[in-house]
Amino acid sequence: MSNMGSRDDLKAVGIDVSEGDVPGRSKKARSKKAPSKKAPSKEDSVSAGFGRRDFLKASGFLVAGTAMGCTRGPVPEAVPLLEGTPEMVPGRSSWYASTCGACTAACGAVVRSRDGRPLKLEGNSLHSLSQGGLCAVGQASLLELYDSQRLLKPWWRGEATTWEKLDTEIEAALNAAAASGRSVRLLTETLHSPSELAAIARFGERFEDFQHVVYDPLSTSAILDAHAATHGRRVLPRYRIDAADVLVSFDADFLATWISPVEFTAGYRKARDLSGEPPLMSYHLQIESRLSLTGSNADERHAIHPAEMASWMGHLAAELGAHFGEGLAQLKPPAGNAPPPVVAMAERLSKARGHSLVLCGSQDLSTQILCNLINHLLGNYGNSLDLEHPSLQRMGDDGALAGLRRELASGQVEVLLMRGVNPVYDLPGGEELAAQIRKVPLSVSFARSRDETASASTAICPEPHFLEDWRDAEPVRGKLSLTQPLIRPLGETRGFARTLLTWNGEPKAELDWLREVWKREILPLASASLSPDSSSSTVASESMASESMASESMAFEKFWDGALHDGYVEVRRPAFEVGPFDGSALELVTEEAGGGTHRDGLSLILYPKVAMLDGRHAHNAWLQELPDPVTKVSWDNYASLAPATAAELGVEEGDLVKISKAGGGEDLVLPALLQPGQHGAVVALAQGYGRLGTDRFAQVGPLWLESEPTVEAGGTVGSRVSDWLDPGSGQLTPVVHGVEVTAVAGHQRLARSQVYDDREVPEKLRPADGHPRPIIQQASLAAYTEDRSAGKPHGHFPEADLWQEFPLGQHHWGMAIDLTACTGCSACVLACQVENNVPVVGRDEVRRRRDLYWMRIDRYYSQEGENLEVAHQPMLCHHCDNAPCETVCPVLATVHSEEGLNQQIYNRCVGTRYCANNCPFKVRRFNWFKYAHEDATANLVLNPDVTVRSRGVMEKCSFCVQRIQEAKISAKARREELAVDAVKTACQQSCPAGAIVFGDLADPQSEIAQAVADPRHYRLFEELNIEPSVGYRRLIRNRPEEEMGHADPHA
Amino acid sequence: MPTLTLDKPLRVPLIAGSKTPGQVTADVSRPLEGKATPLWWGAFLVSAAFLCLGAAAVSYQIATGIGTWGLNRTIGWAFDITNFVFWVGIGHAGTLISAVLFLLRQRWRTSVNRAAEAMTLFAVMCAGIFPVIHMGRPWLAFWMLPFPNTRGSLWVNFRSPLLWDVFAISVYFTISAVFWYFGLIPDLATLRDRFRKGWRKKAFRVMSFGWNGSMRTWHRYEVVYLLLAGLATPLVLSVHSIVSFDFATSVLPGWHATIFPPYFVAGAIFSGMSMVLTLMIIARKTMRIEEYLTLNHIDAMTKLVLVTSGMVMLAYGTEFFTALYSGSEYERFVFLNRALGPMAWSYWIMVSCNVLVPQLFWFRRFRRNLTVVFIATIFINIGMWFERFVIIVTSLHRDFLPSSWASYAPTSVEVATLLGSFGLFFTCFLLFCRFLPVIAMAEVKGVLGIGRPSRAPGPRVGANSKSGGA
Repeated sequence: MSNMGSRDDLKAVGIDVSEGDVPGRSKKARSKKAPSKKAPSKEDSVSAGFGRRDFLKASGFLVAGTAMGCTRGPVPEAVPLLEGTPEMVPGRSSWYASTCGACTAACGAVVRSRDGRPLKLEGNSLHSLSQGGLCAVGQASLLELYDSQRLLKPWWRGEATTWEKLDTEIEAALNAAAASGRSVRLLTETLHSPSELAAIARFGERFEDFQHVVYDPLSTSAILDAHAATHGRRVLPRYRIDAADVLVSFDADFLATWISPVEFTAGYRKARDLSGEPPLMSYHLQIESRLSLTGSNADERHAIHPAEMASWMGHLAAELGAHFGEGLAQLKPPAGNAPPPVVAMAERLSKARGHSLVLCGSQDLSTQILCNLINHLLGNYGNSLDLEHPSLQRMGDDGALAGLRRELASGQVEVLLMRGVNPVYDLPGGEELAAQIRKVPLSVSFARSRDETASASTAICPEPHFLEDWRDAEPVRGKLSLTQPLIRPLGETRGFARTLLTWNGEPKAELDWLREVWKREILPLASASLSPDSSSSTVASESMASESMASESMAFEKFWDGALHDGYVEVRRPAFEVGPFDGSALELVTEEAGGGTHRDGLSLILYPKVAMLDGRHAHNAWLQELPDPVTKVSWDNYASLAPATAAELGVEEGDLVKISKAGGGEDLVLPALLQPGQHGAVVALAQGYGRLGTDRFAQVGPLWLESEPTVEAGGTVGSRVSDWLDPGSGQLTPVVHGVEVTAVAGHQRLARSQVYDDREVPEKLRPADGHPRPIIQQASLAAYTEDRSAGKPHGHFPEADLWQEFPLGQHHWGMAIDLTACTGCSACVLACQVENNVPVVGRDEVRRRRDLYWMRIDRYYSQEGENLEVAHQPMLCHHCDNAPCETVCPVLATVHSEEGLNQQIYNRCVGTRYCANNCPFKVRRFNWFKYAHEDATANLVLNPDVTVRSRGVMEKCSFCVQRIQEAKISAKARREELAVDAVKTACQQSCPAGAIVFGDLADPQSEIAQAVADPRHYRLFEELNIEPSVGYRRLIRNRPEEEMGHADPHA
Repeated sequence: MPTLTLDKPLRVPLIAGSKTPGQVTADVSRPLEGKATPLWWGAFLVSAAFLCLGAAAVSYQIATGIGTWGLNRTIGWAFDITNFVFWVGIGHAGTLISAVLFLLRQRWRTSVNRAAEAMTLFAVMCAGIFPVIHMGRPWLAFWMLPFPNTRGSLWVNFRSPLLWDVFAISVYFTISAVFWYFGLIPDLATLRDRFRKGWRKKAFRVMSFGWNGSMRTWHRYEVVYLLLAGLATPLVLSVHSIVSFDFATSVLPGWHATIFPPYFVAGAIFSGMSMVLTLMIIARKTMRIEEYLTLNHIDAMTKLVLVTSGMVMLAYGTEFFTALYSGSEYERFVFLNRALGPMAWSYWIMVSCNVLVPQLFWFRRFRRNLTVVFIATIFINIGMWFERFVIIVTSLHRDFLPSSWASYAPTSVEVATLLGSFGLFFTCFLLFCRFLPVIAMAEVKGVLGIGRPSRAPGPRVGANSKSGGA
């Protein structure tokens, strides 16, 4: 089964899985479940009499065994298949449900495996949080599996060693620590894996002084602390974006990087669904200092100074308090009058009591407490915020972290274990921290590479990639998912839980421990839960009837198989006990927060970028090259400045600026980027750059006479900015006030995949009575409600046609992209790259505008006064029926298929590039050099269904023709017609917003046929009579008609 | 300098100095027979050096990839096709002078037609290189030819203007080469007879196809020459029309224009004439053939330059008018962008060189001032190179979707390739000057006016001629 289109498909996959006969599956699982019939029969035959055939068999076995023995030591957990299973057909893919391990959001994933290799990660539509989407980072994490520079062996004091030796050393040290009662500290990122938490609990029992400290480099600690103050429990609410009709976000980039972007995007989309009657759309208001991806999608947006954030929040709280007439005795009245937008905001919010939501990305405790107050006043707790089954995706405690740092500074820590974190890089004062870690008698890092922290540690115990490992996750209380291995570990890595248990003297394979924990902890909860739409819970409910141990064991197997099959299971965890809103917490709101004042100089803010996040994926070339959805820059970080501020400084894009702290400290020199929509007194820097080991990209991309390396040997991609995080307030605060920015000599050209940003042509080149180009067509919600074709420009489209109608076969493939749903997150860009073997070209080639993305997202600004309007438009080959590229190719290397596909024939292409010149969408990509490289490990990621293109040929989107063919062949093999919407393109599948619809235009039942019939549907450049097969659905914004920047004033 | 007395009622003679046919032969053959001058050697070495540079650049580019050029995903053609169209355009003057002027009985052409035709050949050779090397996989260039093959029904795309180019250019090159060589035969025979021994004697013997100078030979020669001229004439129009189809049949604003065929033909003649002038002025000085290439020749050609400049100017204006009148915002934008956008400098170079500079030629004073003509024609050639650059690059760099807008700058490899094409052109031309008669002796002898009363008392025909041809 290849496509995850329906539940039935997945079920079939589940059966594959439960048979246990897939690569990387536990041998134990297999022997438990379906004891191999072959092994005993072999023994029987040996005992029964030893004939010639038996001798040959046995000697063959012996030789094979000896040969295997030469290569690697015994691996008890997973063995490669000597014999395929009935489901495993060479060349055919299977999909297995798993969990994405790229960040702590733990979205549901399905993994494509072919011939024993995981090849593609996609969203799991059965997962109720991510709902079938998967972000760019999650998809790109596949590449890290095949990273040839990954650590595949444990290290001890700077040298590779074996697990036996390492375990002996570490066990001795741990025993000593346990005996002496000295402190053992475990420092991790947010952990919500029940099995790992159970392992940690067991591990910690031995020690008198054990503490598990959690921090997140992208900290939301203030939210948890604020809830500890207001609701009596340190908890991160689960935000229900889908339940909010009015959504106000203070600096929370929830569509891109904040907590769980895929889940939030799905919810956002749900709250902005135009298909109803009348169409309903949430109102999204974003208050922020820089232009975030989320802000770029907002209906109303205000760029304010970061210091004003608290005062706006305070005013909003006061306005709402006044509105609802609740006593706010503890709340100090904010200074000054409420800014007009806040008054309007309060008015709007108050009308949506109980179905609104105020988010706050600030790390300022006061602001967060005020935010809680506002949500409390609005009655959102229990509706759009869930505290009883909260999110576990960010559990970091910056206070505890500060405590650990004090202990480290005073040298009290005997053993320091660090898992999933890179504190030397992540935290301010990294070098100092590295020195402190070196002084710790035993410091252990579980990193997969010799990163900043691992280099300073005594031991490195590399973990397997999540695609090689058994794991579980519980991103939201009661919503669990499983991670299963898709491949035998490529090296001698060992799971975190197993390592801890081994040191505890009770070594257990990852799978055994996982099953043990699930049987003990999860199964009883599952038995209580009854969710009709989950096959696994049906299994669980059956188990209620049986009481005996045997049937319980059977019930567990059924439950386990169901959970493994779906990759996701919901159980009934008891609700967290949280108190009612405690007004006394408002005492904690400081004066300063109430009336924020501007300070001297600029304010610096640090922010995560979609691809880089906190830098954990900095060694991933796909992510380094992925253009930032807003700035369209790849490969570097930069100092983002408002255009007016840059003009004051006299800098232009790429000019170097020096950023220095008022109180001294190290300066930072970065190229400038002019960012419209950013507050003038702000300089914004992206985190996640300057990682150790990114000099590996020195060799990426072509090297020739005039090429510049992506990174200098020994250098890093971008600059590390973590030292600017401010832990002063007890929270890791990404805002520093009073920063001085000065222009310095030098220029560093940024690698931008889009260099002209505006939707409009330059003013001086605009014809006097010219209309703006109708590329982004948009309308206000009010206009749309009245007229479903609102936003359609006037146009005179050709009525006569010199073209012969193209004879079409059974299908006519087409696509529609909903610009209202699209947030620009770039998951599709990466999905396409993975699916279609699109190579990474390096910084120099991007600078030369030669990126090879088959799918890109065009981002347009249009500035009308203060108001910046942003539009995102995914752009790919439009598969025109009257394709301009096809007529001009002299050698017929690009031709039309009878299914309406515009096909590129690589081996016929001679590379005249005429087709690319004649393409109105400029989606054709040329192989300027030989981009394929010889890294045998990394090349395992290549999709065997898609040709790796050679130098000198043109390439472009194929509508995932390999998927179309696969679906057609499998339908044909079953002697069936191709089912409606049976084919999903890679971009469509992964879109967290479900913005992309693909299918057969010739089939009136298909989703695409309905999308095309939607009056909101339009196609680009109709006047060229190119008959594109890709269309868009107009961008509807929930804002007053007069604030819309129209595509056509005559509309 | 011969003195020309304008009060004479008769025409100014086409060839100055009252040459006898024998003198003509001697004059034209002199550079071939003597040792090469230091000037020639210097020019040759410089040209050959450029040729080598170009060869190295092309080899490097083919070995490494087209990425060594400054192209990108928005601008798929720039220097390559600019150079191609430029050189094809240069090639136009040859055919025009040899064929069209021949049919129009413009007898002054005899002094320049040989060199102009040779220039055509070399220019078309230079032009032909670019469509091949601009390919991503030039080693597969033969796939552009419709030959029976083992790849099933795979054939070329007859709808593609690039394929039309293949035919147009190859036909043009073939006809031009035949025409040029055919015209050479009587002169080759002359040379064959002048050389006493050596390899050149043998070579000219083979090359002159046993020319015997008989009346019958001459008659057949004249007939075939006339027919070839008739055949070549439509090519003057067709080649550049077809080259312009590369652009005109596309959907790109700035390319998609119905005026392109006449516009390109006019431009080609304009640039070709200028190049002929440039070369002639050099040749005249260095080869000491001032008496054959008189100021009258220069004057006549500059008038043609002026006329074609007017046509080009009209085309520039028409383009703007069409864009304005079309009501298409993309069309309008492309032309505004050409004139005022980031690459406006190239547009204004083009306009200054192609429209303003030729206005000098309204004045007889300038038409007959060699320095002025020389400098002006060089500017015109620069302008015409930029015309193609403007058409190709400024249309591509900002087309439909603003997101794809990009800029272009050539790399060193591209510049070296352009210089290399000039190297090839001049190397070939210098070799031609050294080894073949630069002036069509046989034809010039026909316009000496021997036998006309105006020339009385005429010299004795063939007094000093050792030629079997005349």
